[in-house]
Amino acid sequence: MRGPQRSEAPRQSRGAPRYPYRLLPLWFFLVTLALWQIASRLDHPDFVLSPVEIASHFTQALRSGELLPHVGASLVRSLPGFVIGSLIGVALGLMAGIARSLDQLLSPVVFLTYPVPKIVFLPIVMLWVGIGDVSKTLIIALACFYPCFINAYYGARGTPTLMVWTGLNMGARRSQIFRKVVVPSALPLVFAGLRVSLALSFILLFSTEMINARSGLGFLIRQSESSLRFDLMYVAIVAVAMLGYASDQLLLLVRRHVLAWQEATSR
Amino acid sequence: MSVRQPLLASAFRRLALLAVGVLVWELVARSGMFSPIIVPSVTRIGYQFGLLAIRPESLLEAWYSVSRGLSGFALAAVLGIALGVLMGRSALAAACLGQLFSATYPIPKIAFFPIFIYLFGIGSLAKVLLIFLECLYPIVVTTQAGSRAVNRVLLWSAANMGASRARILWRVVVPAAAPFIFAGLRIALPIAMIVVIITEMISSADGLGYLVMYALASFKTDRMLAVVVAIALLGVVLDWLIVCLRDRLVFWERLDSYYVE
Repeated sequence: MRGPQRSEAPRQSRGAPRYPYRLLPLWFFLVTLALWQIASRLDHPDFVLSPVEIASHFTQALRSGELLPHVGASLVRSLPGFVIGSLIGVALGLMAGIARSLDQLLSPVVFLTYPVPKIVFLPIVMLWVGIGDVSKTLIIALACFYPCFINAYYGARGTPTLMVWTGLNMGARRSQIFRKVVVPSALPLVFAGLRVSLALSFILLFSTEMINARSGLGFLIRQSESSLRFDLMYVAIVAVAMLGYASDQLLLLVRRHVLAWQEATSR
Repeated sequence: MSVRQPLLASAFRRLALLAVGVLVWELVARSGMFSPIIVPSVTRIGYQFGLLAIRPESLLEAWYSVSRGLSGFALAAVLGIALGVLMGRSALAAACLGQLFSATYPIPKIAFFPIFIYLFGIGSLAKVLLIFLECLYPIVVTTQAGSRAVNRVLLWSAANMGASRARILWRVVVPAAAPFIFAGLRIALPIAMIVVIITEMISSADGLGYLVMYALASFKTDRMLAVVVAIALLGVVLDWLIVCLRDRLVFWERLDSYYVE
């Protein structure tokens, strides 16, 4: 998602003074919560809960075991989907980026079907493999495939020719060039693709669960909404937000380790 | 597609692939291995698609979906480009908003849909606002990256020739960031389509997403697949329109170097 980073963007071009603003978002967050809390003293409809109420419901749901099974069910669906889809996407994308025959075979199909919203295939897949977890995992894998493929493809294609020549000149084999030159130079874009896929996997997870499921956080949100249990609805939404945030941070952590040699320019 | 070869050959290759796919599907459907409910034949899907395309009421459903998607997308584009340029050119705005955006980016906004329904009603407004929210992120992020990467020499020369700040933003920064902006728009448009279809599948009584669920529930698989084909075509056509617009407005940059997410 982070645009084309290959252009020589001047780092810290405006000389952003980081220090004074560092805690600003935190303050913003806290002030919003405080205002929300104060506003909830006033007359308000049933479906608006105050932050304190949500927090207490959250701990309650954690302890009573109303929340955790659903979190587990959601993760069992989304993680395999994300892993399968992004692995295939990265592998095929890298290979299409270096092998012309594969490129000509795959790229037209991928780029043509890229703008198609993958969620529309859910009903067909449901008919084919059943209404259970497999159909959801397949849809998530399908959606995760695309950003990974496209980013890995451009990452591999963007390998500086000079480096490949240098490698060849020093007697590297094709497999060595792939492992030691192409993959490392594609990694920043691969991680960008993984991050988009991760966000996408959550969107699809919750929408497939909202459409049909008997467990999972999306189901919990939908069910508690229709049975007017707003406390549980907010708890599930907070859990979704925390899950999305935590997995993103985890991915960024891995990226920082793997790409320690590259000054991470994007956020 | 950046493969250096005559345009005609690549178009032919795509058509051939499509034809092979359709043929395989038709053979599988005709072979009698699966019930026609599970794999309806291409001819029946085509017949239903034809019905879909000539009936005014189904065209109206398509119009509902497109108008929802595009209005959310347009809102996101206007506000997103403005915010992105602001964040790219002002350190204060980048510090305040940048972290806000990067912290809330991984949260799936679709989870807020039930709250949106309670707040804004079950009609179009909740859907449009959700689309707006989901589309805003890619547009803001790419616009910010683009307006930060503007060549300083251009800014200096504009300032040197006495351009005001607003004029520099409008005449230098926005055009220089245009390739990035269009990259963001091109990411956001499929997202808008996804969210329209999802929200219509979950809660709606009109639109193409509703039509899919309705056809599925009545076991009209051929009609459902016809709607799916229509949605897919719509996505491709809208993407193509964005690319056309981009090629007209950003004529100085070749596309394939900038189709990166």
